[in-house]
Amino acid sequence: MLVDTLDIDAQAFHAATGWEIKPEGACKGEMCVPLPDGFELESTADRLGMAVVQDETAGLWAVGPESLTGRALVTAQAPEMVLNDVDGQEFRLSSLRGKKVVLVAWAPY
Amino acid sequence: MHAELAPLGVEIVTVSLEMSEAEASRPFIEAANPTHRSLLDPMHQMDALFGVVNIPNIVWIDETGTIVRPAEPGWSPGDTYPDWLKAFVDERAAATEAKAAEVEATNPELAAKLRGGQDRDSYADAIRDWAAHGSESRFVMTPDQVVAGSQDRPKEKSAGAAHFELANHLWSVDNRPGAIAHFREAHRLQPDNWTYKRQAWSLIGNEAAGGGEMGRFNQGPLPGQEDDWPFEGTFTSEAGATAPADYYPKTLEV
Repeated sequence: MLVDTLDIDAQAFHAATGWEIKPEGACKGEMCVPLPDGFELESTADRLGMAVVQDETAGLWAVGPESLTGRALVTAQAPEMVLNDVDGQEFRLSSLRGKKVVLVAWAPY
Repeated sequence: MHAELAPLGVEIVTVSLEMSEAEASRPFIEAANPTHRSLLDPMHQMDALFGVVNIPNIVWIDETGTIVRPAEPGWSPGDTYPDWLKAFVDERAAATEAKAAEVEATNPELAAKLRGGQDRDSYADAIRDWAAHGSESRFVMTPDQVVAGSQDRPKEKSAGAAHFELANHLWSVDNRPGAIAHFREAHRLQPDNWTYKRQAWSLIGNEAAGGGEMGRFNQGPLPGQEDDWPFEGTFTSEAGATAPADYYPKTLEV
């Protein structure tokens, strides 16, 4: 997640990270992490184990993915992923609910 | 394989982890003439979202949207390549086979280690088993097993991903020195992430080679240009020195 300000709201955080801010805390799948002081990017990122890295020259911060459990996945519930296909058409992974999906990562190198 | 599995309710979706424009991936997609969806992932979301650290990697997701196998090395049968790449791929496969035969004859202990990685030929049969038996397939993992079997991620790996994202962005706006500095940090913090390395080596290698069809497969300095190479390692020095069991760890036995 790349931002040019740390002052972002919960909706933007949810859209970029998949972590939804609810009354019980920051939630993804069945996991909720309490946020005693409510949502604020830096403290929330800290609780979720997300590194916040600044590039001062570029005026940007990058927020890394969560690491609070020590694993890449905190839940077996598949995250939403929105990508374009090779012809520029947007595709949402969740549109395949009801089918088995074999997701194949590859690269031209 | 999609034509075979689609009637069984299985969708194959390919995702290209490549920062460059769609044209870099298109020749491969067209060579495969796919009936399945072919997505582009220029920001390497697959790494952050699913814990992908090498390609090819495969994730299985069931009808309810539950991951039943986390990212792991996997291949489908009949991989296809553009014509201009076939000779290169065949040559490399022949060289690997010849080397394996030589090691088998001279160093059985090392040979056993070299055989230890994920089995390319039988992986697709595991997918077929899942397609046929669904949740009863012996390859389906429980949610707890899926989470535990996903890549490890201490906080420094989160920082590595953040540096990679900055590198990716800075490269896209032609800030080459800034991008290289962040790539180097990403590599330092996620030393086992081959997609972060191969992507960066490929970008710089392609630049050195002046592009062309094979430019992205040049993942080290050209002869005489060693001092210009901005990274600690190259594909040959790192992947070449890594045993298959470590490069493509074995996660299932068909």
